[in-house]
Amino acid sequence: MASIRTEALILRSVDFGESDRILHLLVPEIGRLPVIAKGARRSVRRFSGTLDLFNHVKIQVDIRRPNSLARLDQASLIDPFLAMRSESARFALGCYLLELFDRLAPERGVRTDMQRLFSFALGALRMVAERAPDLRLRTLIELRALDALGLRPEFSRCVRCGSAPAGRSPIGFHVAEGGVVCDPCCAQIDGIQRIHPGTLRALEQGLRLDFDRLDRLVMSGPSLAEAHQLLTRFQRFHLGVELRSAPYLDRVLRSPAAG
Amino acid sequence: MRSTPAPIERLITALKRLPGIGEKSATRLSFYLLGAPDAVVHELGEAIDRLKHEIVLCQICFDLTDESPCAICRDDRRDPSAICVVEEPADLVAIERSRAFRGRYHVLGGTLSPIDGVGPDELRIAELEARLKSGEVGEVILATNPNAEGDATAHHISTRLAESGVKCSRIACGMPLGGDLEYADHVTIGRSMENRGPI
Repeated sequence: MASIRTEALILRSVDFGESDRILHLLVPEIGRLPVIAKGARRSVRRFSGTLDLFNHVKIQVDIRRPNSLARLDQASLIDPFLAMRSESARFALGCYLLELFDRLAPERGVRTDMQRLFSFALGALRMVAERAPDLRLRTLIELRALDALGLRPEFSRCVRCGSAPAGRSPIGFHVAEGGVVCDPCCAQIDGIQRIHPGTLRALEQGLRLDFDRLDRLVMSGPSLAEAHQLLTRFQRFHLGVELRSAPYLDRVLRSPAAG
Repeated sequence: MRSTPAPIERLITALKRLPGIGEKSATRLSFYLLGAPDAVVHELGEAIDRLKHEIVLCQICFDLTDESPCAICRDDRRDPSAICVVEEPADLVAIERSRAFRGRYHVLGGTLSPIDGVGPDELRIAELEARLKSGEVGEVILATNPNAEGDATAHHISTRLAESGVKCSRIACGMPLGGDLEYADHVTIGRSMENRGPI
């Protein structure tokens, strides 16, 4: 690849040296792409107002040299998602999503998957920007984000034998195996967490519903708490660490005034 | 190949850690110091040593100072009813250079940055709230940078101060002096129009 023109979402921005900035971008053709923007902090004109978190931008990047950082040559703003800045819960959930994409999005992934991920990321930020985020929105968006990142949990069939767990009693879920486990298979495996079937059904619907219809999914308080706990464990296991933005998001959603 | 003597190598390594100093500059500076008069070298060494020992944070505004409270907080001619909230001491210096503000300051020590693990407790927001309890302050001017973190921090502080009865304002944001509308992004132009003033 050489110089490419495309769109990007700015996931992270770190000052570098005297006047440069290193950016982590999500790019539809590539996935996660770290770039260096030379002179970005000093020049008022070159990247003015474009290299900020959440910004959806048009870019021109030079990725000619394989073993060095790609160089950002031009950027122009498409959408800054300004609403993220004016409400603590939106800012917190927005940052959480950016960090999730930054940690889990592959570099140079399969093009069609990366295009889907990029579309999802913009859609998710738009949804957060238009709503007052709460635990339900966080849980459902996080579920869809994991799916878009290739970590879709299995809720309907046993991940070991493929059978569909039935009945009204709590069903086994194994985080490391990535989904539900039927009772006979549960007997052969440690670390099973029991989840209410209603919670699993709601999560399954959360994966199937059109993204802009997620609002219609109703979850009871206990079911939501159980789903949130399950997804947190699932995400932490597959990521290996807790996201740094998680404590602030937890705090804001628990008590918006404290955020 | 002849190796560089260890003391010179040590100084080059130390100087390279400074911003804007690369291998070549560090080498040049090291050889300059080697050839400089003893007094110059001692003065530099002492200045660096004293920097770390004598600079403290002002107990009121948290700016860097050699005497706490700092000169601005001690100055009776400064308007005590207006506090300008900035991210870092360098921002305070920039505003002072403008000579456009005669009130006092409060240095937050950064901005909200959840991705870096910085939440409200890591900033000096509680200390700002404590300063307002004197009843002397009538306006808090939020002068954090107009980026995502700066705007979110300003919004967070204004929400927290809403019940204090103190007026909160945000520094204006828009076209820079000498700027060119043709090259400005649409958000900057939009903000300039929103924040337009009478002429």
